Amino acid sequence: MSIIASQGGMEPECFATNTGLMLSFAGEDGKVHSVVRRIKHRQMNLEKVSRLATMARALATDAMSFDEASSEMDAIERMSERTLAAKVGAGALGAAFFTLLFGGRPLDTGAAVAIGAILELALAAFQRWRLPDFLASLAGGALATLASLAVHYCGLAINTDVTVIGVIMLMVPGVAITNAIRDIIAGDLLAGLARGTDAFLTAAAISSGAGGVMALWRFLLPGVAR
Amino acid sequence: MNAALLAVFAILKGPLYAAAGTLAISVLFGLRSADALLASCGAALGWTVRQAIPSGASIAFSSFAAAVATGLYSELVARFRHRPATVYMVSSIVPLVPGGGMYYTMLASVEGNTSQSLEIGMTALMTAFAVATGLAVANTVDKLVLRPLFEGIGRCSPGATIGGSARRSSNADNVDDDKHNHA
Repeated sequence: MSIIASQGGMEPECFATNTGLMLSFAGEDGKVHSVVRRIKHRQMNLEKVSRLATMARALATDAMSFDEASSEMDAIERMSERTLAAKVGAGALGAAFFTLLFGGRPLDTGAAVAIGAILELALAAFQRWRLPDFLASLAGGALATLASLAVHYCGLAINTDVTVIGVIMLMVPGVAITNAIRDIIAGDLLAGLARGTDAFLTAAAISSGAGGVMALWRFLLPGVAR
Repeated sequence: MNAALLAVFAILKGPLYAAAGTLAISVLFGLRSADALLASCGAALGWTVRQAIPSGASIAFSSFAAAVATGLYSELVARFRHRPATVYMVSSIVPLVPGGGMYYTMLASVEGNTSQSLEIGMTALMTAFAVATGLAVANTVDKLVLRPLFEGIGRCSPGATIGGSARRSSNADNVDDDKHNHA
């Protein structure tokens, strides 16, 4: 909005949710222009958020010309994602430290390193296959649980509860919770509700995945304790 | 000596693990090095507050207090780094999100303990709400108390505040100017 105002558009109005974007403004000739975009693929990149905010601020305060801003915009759009190796490494370490945080012993932590790495690999694959977010979370929760149970089954006496929790912390919808409440406080009730639904669905998907595998495991191998 | 060291470690290990876990999470979220480190400091702060709350209080309450601390920290750091506060907040509250509660709810329900599952589930839900409310409180305190304070001191020029009232009002001025020009 501030961008439009600084570039000479009048009466800018914007309605943004995490599934769609509507924007309208009056040009200098008084005609109303509008843009509506359906958002189908969402991903998380805080660095992009941060650079976009910086760019918008610079443009609104005339510290940056329009041409500079559009080339910056292109640069942001083309910004490289993290490499797979970095993601897998981060997944392994993250799972390990969250396992430790929730009371895991060294053996549990070792298992979490492996499972966290596998989970990140799987999530990257799901992203490439354009799997819906809900299914990706479902499969992720299932994978984390199945891997922990399998490690336990193979004779390593890990605490599967702690290991699974440490690993699923990598997928937990913290972002959605944060932004949902920020939107609602700011008065964007609809956007906040959409984000809240996203958070709830993700949480439900992860725990259904985990619960489904646990139930199946008990059913197929009734004698084997967790 | 060794016992003392162990005691210190017992206190520090929570924040330390939370910070390290958050560092990994922020890498996954695409944060660059300095911001990632700042976000994990926020997580360490949050976990310290959570630990410091006496165990008599509910998990939801200690999470609330931790979220307030983390949120205020994020808003402050965001101001100095000229970034949106969300950038730090999103990663540093991850340790507070009730992933364990989520899991144990499901475990109890698979085991057939419906009442236990409901109980744990309610706690998890309350914790999630508490974290969210804590962030909201921090955001409001920042808007009402800290931002005017900083603008008064003049540490940040009005144009440099993040998503602040200053920008919005200057934006409104622009719109008015345009209208006058056309009239």
